[in-house]
Amino acid sequence: MNNGHPTREEDFDLYALGALEGDEKRTIETHVADCAPCAEKLAEAQGRMAMIALAAPYSPPPAGVKEKLMRQIVGSSTGRGGTFAVMPSKQPGVFAGWLWALVPLSGGFACALVFLWLHALQLDSQIEALNNRAQEQDSQIAQQRSIIDMLGAKDTVVVSLAEQKLQPLGTARVLYNAKRGLLVYNGTLPPAPADKSYQLWLVPTNGAPISAGVFESSEGGTDRITAQVPAGTAAKAFAVTLEPRGGKPAPTGPFVLLGPVS
Amino acid sequence: MSVITGTDSRASDAALIQRIVGRDESALAEAYDRYAGMLSSVLNRILRDTQAAEEILQDIFFQLWRTAANFDASRGSLPGWLMVIARNRAISRLRRHNPAMGDELVENTVVLQSNLESNVAQQQMIGKVKGALENLPKEQRAAIELAYFEGLTHSEIAQRTGDPLGTVKTRLRSAVETLKRNLNP
Repeated sequence: MNNGHPTREEDFDLYALGALEGDEKRTIETHVADCAPCAEKLAEAQGRMAMIALAAPYSPPPAGVKEKLMRQIVGSSTGRGGTFAVMPSKQPGVFAGWLWALVPLSGGFACALVFLWLHALQLDSQIEALNNRAQEQDSQIAQQRSIIDMLGAKDTVVVSLAEQKLQPLGTARVLYNAKRGLLVYNGTLPPAPADKSYQLWLVPTNGAPISAGVFESSEGGTDRITAQVPAGTAAKAFAVTLEPRGGKPAPTGPFVLLGPVS
Repeated sequence: MSVITGTDSRASDAALIQRIVGRDESALAEAYDRYAGMLSSVLNRILRDTQAAEEILQDIFFQLWRTAANFDASRGSLPGWLMVIARNRAISRLRRHNPAMGDELVENTVVLQSNLESNVAQQQMIGKVKGALENLPKEQRAAIELAYFEGLTHSEIAQRTGDPLGTVKTRLRSAVETLKRNLNP
């Protein structure tokens, strides 16, 4: 310590990391309680060390948690509000003469209740649709993150697929990470004939080709396919074949594009 | 090939906090969409228990709903605060299963030098953090991970790895020095 301040700035980071113990830890805690500049340094160190969390493998939040949370906050708000109680029925008394006015009023209430019930049904339906959409978006985000992770991984290979003689002109590239079993195909091909489809294959070093997607392609468009194959599958090559419409379990048609994994 | 596209026109964290204080449920939902993925990832990494991670995740956002008025966005970062709370809660949960791990961590104001409000910014920072950790020597990275994701102190790391305490201290100090250089903008 220097005039009470930690002599090494890293002490704040080590404290934020939770590595300090005993006197070392207590010294920091005691000091920052009365020293605003050091408290600020500790807050910055907390932020730096908190970022280590981002190195965790992406794990999307379970689909139901958000819904439970929203129900929980609505429940907590209701808890602060008033409560409704069923009042005991009373004998006819001085207000009995007002019955002529209460009858149309109760009719009005009944209509309002029906309206509210229908409105609640509509809201339920909207909430369900929104939940479904949110789950779909979560899933899309998770997939995008997997792809981003894969693109940045050192063990991802890029394979260029070349057009074959007497076949439609085209070009494509496959990014493949064998450890994750994830591949991304980007390519351009002329539209497939009416009764045909293009089919992308992973040709493993051992075993039969694995289908990675079926597509028809459109004029001037780029086809993009993301496919998951069994993790750990070592690839020898990637190929696109022309197959009967809808694809086949194993390649039967001619190679349109082919690229060996170097 | 571009995977992430589009501009970010979403509300700032400070604006979200203001709306949450005003009991705007949609603002909490927006904060959840923004940061739940990050928190879920770290909770699962620490706990390796999806049920426990789910409970803590919900509880953190419920705490945000209840105590947003106490959060001063000008002094601290929302994602930083959320990540510290998530990590502390997860480590505390581990400690309940293993009481020998030590006392409770303290929750402080957290300042992040980077803005993580957009998905693009988060992805960039994830890449930066992963890169910074991967570039550390293997032993230093292992020590950092034991401290951060398992909540181990210097002596607990030494005990776990069988390395001398002084060696562990030197490794962690060097690691945080390097991370500080590489993570600051």
